Order: sequence, then structure tokens, then C-alpha cells
Amino acid sequence: MDVFLAIRFDGGAVTEFLFNSVILRGVRNTLEVTILAMLLGTVLGIALAVMRVSHSRPLAGVSAFYVWFIRGTPVLIQLLVVYNGLPQMVGSDAFTHFLTPFRSALITFSLNEAAYMAEIVRAGIQAIEPGQMDAAKSLGMTNLQAMRRVILPQALRVVIPPSGNEVIAMLKNTSVAFVIAFVELTTAARLIYAVNFKVMELLVVASIWYLIMTTAFSVLQAELEARLTIVERERAIPLTTRVLRTLGGGRER
Amino acid sequence: MLDVQGVHKSFGPLEVLRGVSLQVTKGEVLVLIGPSGSGKSTLLRCINHLEKIDAGHIYIDGQLLGYREVNGRLIEEPEARVARVRASIGIVFQRFNLFPHLTALGNVIEAPIHVRGLPRQRAIEEGIRVLEKVGLGEKLNVYPSQLSGGQQQRVAIARALAMQPKLMLFDEPTSALDPELVGEVLEVMRELAGEGMTMVVVSHEMGFAREVADRMALMDGGQILEEGPPLQFFEAAQHERTRTFLSKIL
Repeated sequence: MDVFLAIRFDGGAVTEFLFNSVILRGVRNTLEVTILAMLLGTVLGIALAVMRVSHSRPLAGVSAFYVWFIRGTPVLIQLLVVYNGLPQMVGSDAFTHFLTPFRSALITFSLNEAAYMAEIVRAGIQAIEPGQMDAAKSLGMTNLQAMRRVILPQALRVVIPPSGNEVIAMLKNTSVAFVIAFVELTTAARLIYAVNFKVMELLVVASIWYLIMTTAFSVLQAELEARLTIVERERAIPLTTRVLRTLGGGRER
Repeated sequence: MLDVQGVHKSFGPLEVLRGVSLQVTKGEVLVLIGPSGSGKSTLLRCINHLEKIDAGHIYIDGQLLGYREVNGRLIEEPEARVARVRASIGIVFQRFNLFPHLTALGNVIEAPIHVRGLPRQRAIEEGIRVLEKVGLGEKLNVYPSQLSGGQQQRVAIARALAMQPKLMLFDEPTSALDPELVGEVLEVMRELAGEGMTMVVVSHEMGFAREVADRMALMDGGQILEEGPPLQFFEAAQHERTRTFLSKIL
């Protein structure tokens, strides 16, 4: 009993700080970087994947090198390279001012996401049976047309579950942006407990927000998957089932 | 119309086509038979330039297909040119290869819109017409996975026809089908032949061959062993190999 009595946890502080303006700004920054980096990273990732499976050796090589490099180095270092390393190298004030913490984080996470998406999309493309390419070409489509109109629309459906996981991973990874003083959610919590010493309370606040955001993304992912399923299966699967399935990380097929 | 001369094709050390020559005139139906692995499918894929050839010439309407000849050497044409020639040759695959993310009509209008550049509305009108022609006017907005094999293959035929090809290639179009679905596909092909479509058909449906083929050819070991009208094939085959092969599949 003594142990429990000795626990100091200020539940009131959690509710008090849940909607604190610094915390809310952290939530917004985290969301902004995650969503924008997801969009930019996906576009770049698809381009990299198409390059990788193309018949052109140089294009495939560039893509492979990019993925190897980005996946093989820590995000933390990449952040520091963009925020601290590049300005030192370029040595121009305008450039240094341009690279705000937000932009540095956005650039780094986009480049990062692109590498992972490239691998996911490549796997998706390669999962499409070769007969599809034959059929598209036999109808007079060029390689690029076939890719855009026939292969990618099918591949992107296969790609949604793993890329949803990827986005959730990135959302949490944005917390390392504290090294470049970017006020995302974790940094916001740290800033506050550095002053009031309510460490546990603020970590709980941050966790609650992370859970809310990851859950929202899971629901979105489940919805997207259901919408894009090629043909209605026997019966529509209820939303709750789909969400639980996605949250559990399980995948059918 | 189709003139194949001395075509060679190897996959690594395996020589699949060993000097194949073949002519098909406009409006003619050629049925190609032969044991599996004899190179029939590869020949069709070469005619459509889905496979590159190692040596020989393939002409469509007197035009070299997919290559330019420079000082006696074959140089591959740029992709866009190859695509254009290919668009004039329809091919129907054994496994249909329909686009699963598009409806029957979607499958049929995709290439007319994006390759031939037809306005969407015209493409839809034509798409409906070809789907009605293959007896699927009721299934316009149905996805391939909801169709039977025979219906899927008929959509595939309609998809090829929508490009208004000069030549249709059929690569064992009925061999992936349940027996009771074979007839509906053959019926469509029979009609097509009746309308004067030039066709090269790889098939072991001998009833169809006997009735529809103008000429038959037997391939074995990457070469054409025997060629002639169906009657000669069935009644008086000249090669022993042809006779034994026919006796096995009849």
C-alpha cells in the first residue's frame, strides 16, 4: 500500500495540459509534417519505384542507390545534415534562413518516406502478373502508358496496407526532430516539463495525442482499403471490424 | 498480309524457334497446332513483338515489324513506333489477361481512348457495339472477376477488336476454360472468321479447325513441319509426325 501512496501523479495536470496551446501547436506541427511528407514521399516514391523496374540501367541504378543510402543511414543524421550540414557547406545566409526547422524536417521526412515507399511500390508492381503488361502492350500502349493506366492502379491497391503502417511509423518518428529544435509534439511536452517538472503527466499527454492521431490514420487506411478493393467481396466488412484488423496490424490475403 | 521469314528465337541456350517461315493472306484463317513446347505461343508473341527475335523478318502488309533494316542488320524501332504497329494486331491470351480494376466496358475502351485517341463518348459507343457483338451487351459494367471464364475470354476478344486490328492472334484461347464454356468462345471466333478477319489461331480444337481453318500448320521443335488445307491434314497428312500428333488429340 505504501508504494501506491508514494506514487505522485497529478491527474489534473493531464487534463489541464491536454489542450495547452504549446501542446496543440506541437500536434499541429507533427500532423503537418507527417501529412505533407507522406504526400511528397509517395509521389517521389512512385517515381523511384517506376525507375527501379524500368529497363534503363542508369535510372534503375540511381533509384537503387537512393534507397540504399536513405535506408542505410539514421534519420537523426539526415536531419542534422539538412539542418546543420547543408547551411555550413553552402555558407549563404539566404539558404540558412530558408532552411527553417519546419522545412528541414519536411525535406528530410519526405526524402525518407520516398525511399521506403519506393520499396513498397516496387513490391506492389512486381506482384502484378506479367500478363497484364503483355495485354497492355498488345493494345498498343507504350511502357509508360501501361505503367500508368494498368500496372500502377493495381499495384497501388496492394500497397495501401504496408504504406499505412509506414505513415504511422513516420508520424511517431517525427519526434526525433527535437534535435533541430522543431516544436513537434514530443518537443512541446519536453519544453513544458522542463519548466514544471511534471514529466510523467506531460508524457501521458503526448501519448494520448499520438494515440489519437495513429488511430485516425488507421481508420483512414481501413476506409481507403475498403473503397479501393477491386470488386465487392461477398459482403461488405463492417468498419469496426476493418479498423480493429488494421489496428492489430493483421492483413488478409 | 503476314509474312514470317526464317525467324529464330532463343531463350538462353534453348532455341525455341528455328527458322520459322509462314505466310497468311488477307482474310485467311490459319490454325497452328503442335505439341507443347514446340514454339507456337512464342511465334505468336514474336509476331506481336512481345518477344524480340534473334534473326529473320516479320512483315505486316509489307512493313517490317518492330525493326528497321540498315545494311542488312535489324535495328529495333523506338518504342512508340513499335507500339503503333502493335496496336494494329490483336492478341487473345490463354489466360484472358483482362484488367481486373476495370469493368468489361472499361477494359474495352481503355486503349481506344488512350492509344487511338478516340473521344470518350465515341469509344463508349464502339465499346458497347463490340461487347454486344460478342454477346455481352448485358455485362457492360461488370468486373472481370464476376464473369465466367468464357465471358472473360469474350471480353478479351472484344477488347482486341475495339482497336480495329488488321490481324487477330489467338493463343490457345479455350484451353483455360471449362469444357462447357469452350463453345461460346469458338462461336465468336467462327463469326469473326466469317466476317473475313485475318486470324492466326493456336488451338487444339480440331472441330473448329476442320470447319473454319483455311489452312493448318503443324509446328514441332521450333519449325513448321507441315502446312496445308484441313482436309489434307486430317485425311492425307504427309508427315508421320503429323499423323501421330493428330491421332493423339483427335
